[in-house]
Amino acid sequence: MTHEIQQENVFRINDLVKTYQMGEVSVSALRGISLDIHPGEFLVILGHSGSGKSTLLNIIGGLDTPTTGTVQYEDHNLGEFTETELTHYRRKHIGFIFQFYNLMPNLTAKENVEMATEISDDPMPALDALELVGLASRAGHFPSQLSGGEQQRVAIARAIAKRPRVLFCDEPTGALDIATGKIVLEVLQDVNKKMGTTLLVITHNAAIAEIADRVIHMRDGHVSEIEVNDEPKTLDDVVW
Amino acid sequence: MRTLDKKMLRTMWRHRSQIFAAIAVVTCGTACFICLASLHENLKLTRDTYYAQNRFADFEIRLERAPTSTLYELQEIPGVRQVRGRIVEDVKLDIEGVTDARMGRVISVPETGGGFLNGLVIRSGNFFDPGAQNEVILSEQFAQANELGVGEHIKATIDGKKHTLKIIGLGLSPEYVYTIRNVQELVPSPDRFGILWVPRDFAESALTLEAACNSIIGSVESEDQLDTILNAAEPLLDTYGIFAKTKKYDQLSNRILSDEIRNLGVVSRVIPTVFLGISALVILILLNRMVRNERTQIGLMKAYGYSSFAIAMHYFQFALVISLTGCILGFFVGQYLAGQMIEMYVKFFSFPILQSRIYPNILAQAMGISIAFSMIGAMSAAYRAARIHPAESMRPEAPVVGHRTLLERVQPVWQRLSFTWKMIVRNVTRHKFRSTINIFGVMVSTALLIIGFFSIDGIDYLMEFEYEKMQRQDVRVSFYLERGKDALYDAKRFDYVDHAEPMLQYPFTLTNDWRTKDVLLVGLPRHARLQRLMDTEERVVDIGENGLVLTQKLADMLSLRVGDTVKVKPMMGRVTDEKTVRVSKIIQQYFGASGYMNIEALSRVMNESFAMNSVLLKTEPGKEHRLNDELEDIPAVSSIEVKEDSIRNMSETIEMNMKVTSFVSVLFAGVIAFSIIYNITSVSLAERERELASLRVMGFSRDEVGRILYHENMLMGVVGLALGIPAGMIVCRLLVKAFDTEMIRMPYHLESRTFIISIVLTISFVLISNWAIRRKIHQLDLVETLKERE
Repeated sequence: MTHEIQQENVFRINDLVKTYQMGEVSVSALRGISLDIHPGEFLVILGHSGSGKSTLLNIIGGLDTPTTGTVQYEDHNLGEFTETELTHYRRKHIGFIFQFYNLMPNLTAKENVEMATEISDDPMPALDALELVGLASRAGHFPSQLSGGEQQRVAIARAIAKRPRVLFCDEPTGALDIATGKIVLEVLQDVNKKMGTTLLVITHNAAIAEIADRVIHMRDGHVSEIEVNDEPKTLDDVVW
Repeated sequence: MRTLDKKMLRTMWRHRSQIFAAIAVVTCGTACFICLASLHENLKLTRDTYYAQNRFADFEIRLERAPTSTLYELQEIPGVRQVRGRIVEDVKLDIEGVTDARMGRVISVPETGGGFLNGLVIRSGNFFDPGAQNEVILSEQFAQANELGVGEHIKATIDGKKHTLKIIGLGLSPEYVYTIRNVQELVPSPDRFGILWVPRDFAESALTLEAACNSIIGSVESEDQLDTILNAAEPLLDTYGIFAKTKKYDQLSNRILSDEIRNLGVVSRVIPTVFLGISALVILILLNRMVRNERTQIGLMKAYGYSSFAIAMHYFQFALVISLTGCILGFFVGQYLAGQMIEMYVKFFSFPILQSRIYPNILAQAMGISIAFSMIGAMSAAYRAARIHPAESMRPEAPVVGHRTLLERVQPVWQRLSFTWKMIVRNVTRHKFRSTINIFGVMVSTALLIIGFFSIDGIDYLMEFEYEKMQRQDVRVSFYLERGKDALYDAKRFDYVDHAEPMLQYPFTLTNDWRTKDVLLVGLPRHARLQRLMDTEERVVDIGENGLVLTQKLADMLSLRVGDTVKVKPMMGRVTDEKTVRVSKIIQQYFGASGYMNIEALSRVMNESFAMNSVLLKTEPGKEHRLNDELEDIPAVSSIEVKEDSIRNMSETIEMNMKVTSFVSVLFAGVIAFSIIYNITSVSLAERERELASLRVMGFSRDEVGRILYHENMLMGVVGLALGIPAGMIVCRLLVKAFDTEMIRMPYHLESRTFIISIVLTISFVLISNWAIRRKIHQLDLVETLKERE
């Protein structure tokens, strides 16, 4: 590990099981996952579609609840959070990036970021956040006037403006071409390095894994392998 | 069942709350139509059959005393079908155990019975036996209100003499469907005023009118000839002192009943149209959204070979199901309401039979119009669905394009808005059509509230104006004959009397060129304190020393202006010569066509130095009834009215009316507002699920997310409210104009209470809609919504 050893883990995931009841059939999405996530690391969860990676992300992100098992965030158990506490958790501690950006079509880039800053205690100015993703010049544009990559960068700016401890990214480059995808990843990497934000990216794109500190391989609801990159590649070296 | 129909039913079930909201509006519309139109039809038919079966007279001529032989001459006038001479006289009644005043109107009927004009319907007991004396048939409602039955007795003071009359029957007459003594009474007081039908012989001897009559009623071949016939009758009767000629159209009871029926006819068209129009809008929004939702499915169906026509019909079917369900519910609600309304009508109007009936033609009409409106609502959705291209529909819809709004130009304001409000403003302006309908719905709702409460305020105000501002006496005593000043001095000497003022009311014929009008002129002392002359602006009008003060209506009828002269001729009494009087003032009043003069000047018109026929008394507080007891036995007194009693009776009746009116208007306004707001918000929510879900993911709480929709609704609600208030006020003004009759004009008066209640209610409607939508926001599935890309 290139990072200095931190005092504590951000997440301690213990024997997480998630079973969906689909009519009369029950589908197991997670079959007992245990995992620690360290502060400030760039973690990639790699797996094919249906491997349970999104379910895992949703549970750690407080959008979904596990069937059994626990997720420990700092010294809290996410499973014991009330709806209000979950909202507070999402609001103050974490950020989300989705494949499809999910910007408010009605708001300009800057306003989209402001939306997040308005509800946090110590946000960075919206323009600074846009500057960080290299979009300060497009602050007044509406999402429909931006390219996909730009929209995703606005989404990142929106997520980081409230200075979250952890940033969850669900296929952040899934809808983008290679060149644009690289720019987005660069931004994410930047955030991770400069701000020390723990970065959790899920993807089925193995190339992305090469730039991470750690890679969790998932298959059929299990962690099949944990790979530690002692020397993560730079983006320029990655080929996909 | 075809697959397409199954799909429809399931889709409807999925959107059930929205569908129900749409059905509710259709139900209100058809229920209103069925209720009002049936009632209209019912009253019209009941009135017409009642009039025909009991030979309701086409005209009445009131005179002082005409010999019965004149009737033969009248019978000869071409066009006259039947005439009848009778005796009509208002009397004081005495009922055991009742202290306050009871008035009755004695009307003679031929004891031979048979099919006479203004015939009676005997409800219980019998008609007179030949040669009956001291027997009476009492109007049914009066008997019921006073708990009098057949076989009991009632005392009446006729022409100063007390008679004890045995009640042998209870009856009704087409002449008194709406039983009030005069137009100022507004609502009937069945306990205080009744009709006493007596045998002709008895009336003749009691009123010393042997072989004579003081009222002639007649029927004619055709109502068009009425004027000609009445003109032909005049010279024949001139010497007998005609003081009123009334055509059927102007007959008090008939006029009020017919006005009511006419108004009902208007209302039965307007209100359902408003509702069904709104329902068309709700369906429009609902189905348009549905078509957009189902683009892919529609494309797929087309790809499989369903025709555009079949697809279009599919969406028309939605509308059809909504309108038919609404119709069926509307039928039950409408019939129920009609039953309730009839119960209310029966309290005011006495008909031999008035019961809720089902009119198949009205049901068919109701169904026809509600289907028509819903089809109009479905048209654009069906058209859009038919035009969807299969290949195109598989591609995702073009993304929403953000726009800058006008408000953003005002940077100082825009900068200060929170992002929630920025979203709201942009969203409202983005969906202009939808926002307009939302605002429109709230506007209609508020306007309905204002209009509903207006009818209450108007009557309330009229009562207050008439009985508190204008009339300030406690007791009013009327005399049989005109009296001199001594009667005033006598009245002042009675115990408990604080103050007394004279009043003279006398019928005159007013003539200006060829225009002529018979009216009651009122003589009042200058600076009268008990009966003040006021105009509609609540200004006290100085009656002056000389000259005639006319109401605007009478002035218009006679084409008179201030300064003009008019010929005035007493219609009865010894003096019948014409005098010329100058019009000194023209004022606006609520009640009818009348004229006022200084009592002394009016006396001089009658060649008297001073004449009065009633005296107004102010008593020591709470002593009105004591005074009543003392005055009761004075023979010269024809009636005693304690104002408090009259007001109490009217207030009770009006209050009941108010409760019904306000309940119905609040209900209707609520359904309209809720249905529109709920549906539009549901559609808006469905479109923005993704947006709102991502806000939740970012850490916005449910209520914070909901607030975007709630505030948006409130914003439009406030705009709708702001438009609805003036809209309601305008409609109220139009209503005042529309219902302005010769007899009465409704005041345009709205209490501030009405505005406050309307505002509070409208805002409550928005809050209720928001509360209903809250459930949908809480159910927002974050994971699912964000996963799929439409």
